[in-house]
Amino acid sequence: MADLVQIEKAGAFVANEGRRVADYADFRSVRITSESIDLSGGAIDKVDRTVSFGFAVRVLVRGAWGFAAFPDCDLASAEAALNEAAAIARASAKLMAEPVVLAPVVVVKDEYQTPVQIDPFAKPLKEKIDYLTSLDALLRQTEGINRSTTSMSFRREEKWFYSTEGSVITQTIVHSGGGFTVGSMKSRREMSERSYPTSGGQHKAGGYEIIEAMKLDDACEEMAQQALALLTAPPLPEQTTDLILSSDLLSLQIHESIGHPLELDRVFGAERNFSGTSFATPDKRGTLKYGSDIVTVTTDPTATGGLGTYGYDDEGVPAQRVAMIDKGVLVNYLSSRETAARLGLESTGAMRAESWADLPLVRMTNTNLAPGSGTLEELIADTERGVLIQTPASWTIDDKRENFQLGGEIAWEIVNGKRGQIYSAGVYSGNTVEFWNSCDRICGAEEWKLWGTPNCGKGQPGQNMRTAQGTAPARFREINVGQPA
Amino acid sequence: MLTAKDDILALLDSALGRSPGDQTELTYISGREATTRFAENVIHQNMLSADARVIVRLIKDGRVAVSSTNDLTENGLDRAMRDAAQLAALLEPDGDFPSFVKSPAAPAVAAFHPGTDGCDPARRADAVAAIAAAANDRGVQTAGIFQTETVRTAVVNSLGTRQYNEETSAEFSVSASDDAHEGQGWAHGVRRDIDQLETTVVGRTAIDKAVRSRDPQTVPPGEMTVILEPAAVGQLLLFLGFLAFSGKSFAQGRSLLAGRIGEQVAGENITIIEDPFLPEYPGLPFDYEGVPKQKVTLIENGLARGVVHDRSSAQMAGTTSTGHALPADNARGPYPKNMVVQPGDATIEEMIASTQHGLLITHFWYLNFLNPMRGQMTGSTRDGTFLIANGGIGHPVRNLRATPALLDVFSRVEAIGRERVVYPQYSVVMYVPAMKVAGMPFTEATE
Repeated sequence: MADLVQIEKAGAFVANEGRRVADYADFRSVRITSESIDLSGGAIDKVDRTVSFGFAVRVLVRGAWGFAAFPDCDLASAEAALNEAAAIARASAKLMAEPVVLAPVVVVKDEYQTPVQIDPFAKPLKEKIDYLTSLDALLRQTEGINRSTTSMSFRREEKWFYSTEGSVITQTIVHSGGGFTVGSMKSRREMSERSYPTSGGQHKAGGYEIIEAMKLDDACEEMAQQALALLTAPPLPEQTTDLILSSDLLSLQIHESIGHPLELDRVFGAERNFSGTSFATPDKRGTLKYGSDIVTVTTDPTATGGLGTYGYDDEGVPAQRVAMIDKGVLVNYLSSRETAARLGLESTGAMRAESWADLPLVRMTNTNLAPGSGTLEELIADTERGVLIQTPASWTIDDKRENFQLGGEIAWEIVNGKRGQIYSAGVYSGNTVEFWNSCDRICGAEEWKLWGTPNCGKGQPGQNMRTAQGTAPARFREINVGQPA
Repeated sequence: MLTAKDDILALLDSALGRSPGDQTELTYISGREATTRFAENVIHQNMLSADARVIVRLIKDGRVAVSSTNDLTENGLDRAMRDAAQLAALLEPDGDFPSFVKSPAAPAVAAFHPGTDGCDPARRADAVAAIAAAANDRGVQTAGIFQTETVRTAVVNSLGTRQYNEETSAEFSVSASDDAHEGQGWAHGVRRDIDQLETTVVGRTAIDKAVRSRDPQTVPPGEMTVILEPAAVGQLLLFLGFLAFSGKSFAQGRSLLAGRIGEQVAGENITIIEDPFLPEYPGLPFDYEGVPKQKVTLIENGLARGVVHDRSSAQMAGTTSTGHALPADNARGPYPKNMVVQPGDATIEEMIASTQHGLLITHFWYLNFLNPMRGQMTGSTRDGTFLIANGGIGHPVRNLRATPALLDVFSRVEAIGRERVVYPQYSVVMYVPAMKVAGMPFTEATE
């Protein structure tokens, strides 16, 4: 596998020679090291380590795009990729309306590293396995619990970026995550499950200190008891009522109904054949009342510790915090140099690729809803009648990102400011703009958390991206919840 | 990147000889994928991506571990095998997995076509340009992909298993739209041989549907008879595959078929078979443990007949592998990858003519589990939904949210199409007809 010298030579070659065949070229090499440990019922389901390394060249030739990605990296393959990408771009030019124009970017020579306290890859594997095994034993101490999974995963990306404009950027991004599920199964129709810290686990930027900070042991008993309660809990009945969403479920709501519709490439139709379009068309920028006055949402890859935290995006645009919804009004988008230029704007630095083999696309970074004030318990106490739903269990939204239906693992009835009956199958539905305009209270910074979504799908061919959404719990008035009996 | 069978097998044989394991399995997967993507009637993304990786599964002192790498140099493979050995040393012996096996050679399938493998970007661009021009003529925009892919797969182990397959695919997918009039259409085609792929037909089908679906009206939700085009059937079948036919969840009692083999779980007119040897689109003839794939009857005349297994789930269930293992670094468990639905004798036109009130549905979007225990899904219609009234196609309809329970759907099928299409989704390939289904529940309509 190529060493640093070979990578630098290949990158410099593309940066210096790219203009022989293209108007613009960039080189992006990535080495991805990942490790995952999954236990089920205390027995190991999977322990594996993966290494993947390669590079890609992206070019603009007469305003048309081409891209070629190959494994490993050396001068010969860099030249081959450059020529291949240029040939592809010439084919693209056969069907082009206007030449692609790129919004300007500051040329930099810089590096970025995720702050890490405990290198997760240096932590002995035996200690990780032993911890997950002991966690599983703790979960199964509760009588009635007969299903459990525990897991951890780690990922390190080492990235090298060169462009014909002169930027040279190296980054090392480290992600760590983990969690557990606990449940009870009496028969195929009588099953329950609770996830902690959230479904799919919590994932953040950083090292093993993230796992330690989760304090998973402390949550075992409570989650086990909730799983047992869910076994006999009725499904949430259909009604229109006030809805409080936990911060992890609201994180998914933000992802599906704010993040995705504000991807500017999607707005321009780039995803129409797969994941659809967006109702948030450019004519609505500055005028659409996307949410109530207390709803302010930013894209912020500078935020600490998110799956969407980095120094520069995959076309060398620096990470920056940008408001997308400001006091309820749509003001900007997640964008790339190409898409931003179409609106006469600067890129918000949201071009990201899953790996060296994938084309960068406009993706979410850390999409954050600004906190308000107060605790969750204060919000519940302030609610005369409603429902609190927690932890994502199901999600779907239409192809314009307007009509959605999401569901949580557990719900509580709220009566006169107190939690009451527990319900299972806590689904709710609505229209995106109506929903966000019904938001009348958001909890404060003390309840605000940045939740990782490690599996956001987009693109053709399909790619997976790691994003994060930060939010505190919030209340929404008069929402359709539950299912018909 | 290696492309010759002998070179690939020689690479793996050489690595096997150096393995520190008591037994070793090496799986080689390479892909060369070229995608011309278009939107707003222009090519906006155009790419070539190639990679090859080897997954190492190694047994040492009864302990099993997995690692993988795309560094296929001698050093890279040795490092991956050492990693797996070091991982194995940390684990407990796996009593459920005592040994690999030597499998007989899987039958060869005709899944590779040089024309697909050698397709250049100019050919793809020309095909897209032709569709874009046709769309412009009708005031419609198109978006989609023209993708060609070559995949080479080899599985060897230290007991003598040696399997090799190469396959190509050419896929053309078009979404057509007239946003000013809310018109939407979609069509798709996939072949192993690019020369068999009728891109013009696919494109014109999508464009025509977008034109016909202009100015849709809202219909109230409720239970309705639906005629599902093959893609919509395929999407429901995909999730049925995950929830019902996986040997791992079956053995664990979670499958929709758990405890129900021999029972009536669908209509008597429903027969679904897992068949990797479909002539129209042959699949991989062996699994990622090197076990030759078997045809498996999943549902026969509505009776639950079987599920698919890998060696691990088969051991749990007290049976033998059907050759459906996924790559070793995937803990999800086996699921069917080549489902074939037995055809009926109806045409879509006949289904429409027999329907007083219902919907004609092109396909769904974002189907997801609403209640996995009941097999209940939720998702919206998309890309051309039409009212059926008094035996004829009526006006186009705005999208609705459907919440079908999968086995319920397949228990209410009143007619099955005689024509079938190949429909791939999430690496599962299905050969599916259209179906007329009574009483599909819709809970919301787009205003």
